[in-house]
Amino acid sequence: MCGIIGYVGEETALPIVATGLKNLEYRGYDSAGVALQDGHLDVYKEAGEIDDLVLPESSPATCGIGHTRWSTHGEPTDLNAHPHTDCSGEVAVVHNGIIDNYEEVRAGLEERGHRFESETDTEVVPHLVEEKLEGKGLREAVTAAVEQLEGSFAVVVVTADHEGIVAARRDNPLVVGTGEDGNFLASDVTAFLAHTRQVTYPEDGDVIEVTGDGVTVYNDGEVVQRPTETVEWEAEAAEKGGFTHYMLKEIHEQPSALRQTLSGRIDALHGEAALDISLPTEYLNSLQEVQIVAAGTSYHAGLYAAELLERHADVRTTTHVASEYEFRGGRDPWRTLVVAVSQSGETADTLDAIRKAGRAGAKTLAVTNTVGSTVTRETDDTLYIRAGPEIGVAATKTFASQVATLALLAVYVGRERGTLPSETASELLGSLRGLPGAVQQILDAETGVRETAREYADGDAFFFIGRRLGFPVALEGALKLKEISYDHAEGFAAGELKHGPLALVTPETPVLAVLTEGADPRETLNNVKEVESRGAPVVGLTSRADARRFLDVAVDVPDLGVMEPLVANVWLQLFAYHVANEKGRNIDKPRNLAKSVTVK
Amino acid sequence: MQAVILAAGEGRRLEPLTDVRPKPMLPIANRPLLEHVVEAVADAGIEELVLVVGYKRERIQDYFGDGHDWGVDIEYAVQSKQLGGAHALLQAEPLVDGEFVVLNGDRIIESRMVSQLVEAVGGDDDVLMTVTPVDEPSNYGVVELDGQRVVGLTEKPPARAVTSNIINAGVYAFGAEIFEAIRATETTGELAIPAVLQPLVADRRVRAVPFHGMWLDVSYLWDLLSVNAAVLDQQGSAVARSARVHDRATVTGTVAIGADTRIRPGATVLQGTALGENVNVGANAVVANAVVLPDATIEPGCVVRDCIVGENARIGPNTTVEGGRADVVIDETFYADVRLGGVFGDNAALGGAVTAEPGTVVGTGATVESGSVLAGHVGAGAEVRRG
Repeated sequence: MCGIIGYVGEETALPIVATGLKNLEYRGYDSAGVALQDGHLDVYKEAGEIDDLVLPESSPATCGIGHTRWSTHGEPTDLNAHPHTDCSGEVAVVHNGIIDNYEEVRAGLEERGHRFESETDTEVVPHLVEEKLEGKGLREAVTAAVEQLEGSFAVVVVTADHEGIVAARRDNPLVVGTGEDGNFLASDVTAFLAHTRQVTYPEDGDVIEVTGDGVTVYNDGEVVQRPTETVEWEAEAAEKGGFTHYMLKEIHEQPSALRQTLSGRIDALHGEAALDISLPTEYLNSLQEVQIVAAGTSYHAGLYAAELLERHADVRTTTHVASEYEFRGGRDPWRTLVVAVSQSGETADTLDAIRKAGRAGAKTLAVTNTVGSTVTRETDDTLYIRAGPEIGVAATKTFASQVATLALLAVYVGRERGTLPSETASELLGSLRGLPGAVQQILDAETGVRETAREYADGDAFFFIGRRLGFPVALEGALKLKEISYDHAEGFAAGELKHGPLALVTPETPVLAVLTEGADPRETLNNVKEVESRGAPVVGLTSRADARRFLDVAVDVPDLGVMEPLVANVWLQLFAYHVANEKGRNIDKPRNLAKSVTVK
Repeated sequence: MQAVILAAGEGRRLEPLTDVRPKPMLPIANRPLLEHVVEAVADAGIEELVLVVGYKRERIQDYFGDGHDWGVDIEYAVQSKQLGGAHALLQAEPLVDGEFVVLNGDRIIESRMVSQLVEAVGGDDDVLMTVTPVDEPSNYGVVELDGQRVVGLTEKPPARAVTSNIINAGVYAFGAEIFEAIRATETTGELAIPAVLQPLVADRRVRAVPFHGMWLDVSYLWDLLSVNAAVLDQQGSAVARSARVHDRATVTGTVAIGADTRIRPGATVLQGTALGENVNVGANAVVANAVVLPDATIEPGCVVRDCIVGENARIGPNTTVEGGRADVVIDETFYADVRLGGVFGDNAALGGAVTAEPGTVVGTGATVESGSVLAGHVGAGAEVRRG
């Protein structure tokens, strides 16, 4: 999991590469480096944050590559930072992904006299390229080198005396940008959006030659054409605009993000969800199961959706942690729809799961935020959540938009299957339509969240409880808190407390309870009493006036039916944010974490 | 040239709408007041903006971001306590360089007013002040001129003491010296810009830049309706592409209809109305001369005239807001005969068949039982039961 940027053209490469790295910082940040080509190669790399990387004031080079690293093989040290070079220092490589057979390749190279400096898998690439360069052009050398590699990767190569950059892609994100004053390569469009919006997505096995004049894509030695698309996101939309952290900005963007998500998709008059997907009615009628595969926050969105699908579409739905997924258990692939939920569309675990499902013959659907991402190419159909770019490592607005999109899917499937009466559908759609306003109400009461966070920030541990739709929200609330405040936080199904976790509850462990509609609040109130008798302070999120007297802090959630837990979640996001802020944590860049995890 | 826009104020006289949003974010023709100002500044060719924000600043920052959508660069300065315009301006000091323009974020102006001021910059004057004629000068800072020289500046003089109908439009050009002047002015609380300018006026160092054109101030709730109608008239109708107007609904006159707003069969939307995003107007409802904020729901059969409906508010079926003129008390001051059918705060929820007499103001999040008759003020979060 790393970020790559490359530029070649008429401008000086250094500022373009440096800002590109800055924009990619969210993908990993334990070390960073840059290589500039100007008749010779200059390499600058260091462990630490990108801001700390010492670069020259200026450089005449018009071709360069850069990398931000998130360690998989080898600790974050100066030596392990990319770019890596060959013995002569004339070939520089940055790489994203994992080379599975690097030990074997490295042993071979060492036997042939190559000297290695780092512990990384990446370093085999420049040495291989060095060998293959004898009597060949750079593109042929890179092609030959990657043929010897196993695993998933995107590599970008420059040398001291070949013009331009050559890259290769296998199971790892890589995007090419074509601009007026030069051309770009990156692991994510945000790296170069300020310069161009014309992008091409290479496919697996492609080798890409980028010069100042143009981009040529080869596959199996033949020139191939890949379509050029125009990206609509504003590069600047990804800047903080007066907020202290991207996370806070993105929490506050939720009303407008939700309006975008829902725009044009609600037909309340007829009780229909207007979704641009092609799943035939006969197929949906024959469905025996919907499987949702996802990781992290997306997994929690999947759990929320499963409850809605079973309730309203009357179809068995299971949610799977992507890395644990297998297609088996006597399922009929023709009657199983597998839905991959991934913000970035590049999550390796999720891609792996969806490939397993596809191989088994099941129909697949992607639910993602990222146009042109790998998951959209590897599934039969795609439903975009339209939340806009999310930079904060802790997912916030995309969770809300994922759940809203999946709720629309539940209405769609329920109506197609004839299991959801139009009246109930209208009510559900009405609740969805009310989401932006209800979320805004929680945001307007932020001062109260800050006070509560301040009061309880020193808790030994935090427990989040909920039932039904409140359960995924409890899990998500706990995940946000642990991600950014590093506090011990756990989400439990409220009924499970008494079967074990209750032993952990003390007067120093605040309990946060989801007591909204859609979350069986009456039953959960009994669990609230259980923890209160152990002296734990309880923060309750509720739309019921009668629950207040049992709570130390009662948070009002607007009436919104089955969408209430999703609204309550916004309060929990703010709670996590303010606890972390109180503790001075690095909120946008929590330790050990990266935005989209493209390694298994 | 940079522009500093003061947008930190609360706007207490516009409660309940300013309970949850700062005054500059009140919508006129479906766009915040502040957006009209930002556009005027951008159209005048100024590309670097500093917004001084404070009260509920998240709303402003979330909307404007870094200014890219308006082709400008926006930076934010924060005034954490609302201690007046001069104090707000002082917060922008680290972000400005050389001469700059200062404007209020809650007054609609023409971009010509800004470009004219920018052209006038230069010469030996310390301060340029845009002045404009108005009908009721006693609500503003009345200016006395000697040629182009400002020789007198009196804040809100009593009507009998008004000596001219020329007022300070609150649009200035300053240099860095202004910050010294602000620091040198003694204060015991709020510090407004005119107070800082008094010694400069006395020294004849303030030059007036006269302007005749659009200058619209929203001081009171009813101004929101009249300014909205005036701006709609000037700009013409605007209906978002994703809005859905049913074939059997009627929309006439100049109106603004936001994205994803739905107008149901038989509903009628008339002159001077702005419906924000994601609004629902139910079957056979009539909406006229109204400002309806995003996510609000007007249920079937309602009559909503001369009315402001807050964000996410619900007006129950067959509710009647007859509209017209009324006497209204705001902040303990009595205002006779203003045109205001009613105001419903954000998230207010009305049951069916409520009747609201002209001048009714319902607070944020209040709930009203079906069949109630409303008049006067209903507090925030209150529950009104049918008596």
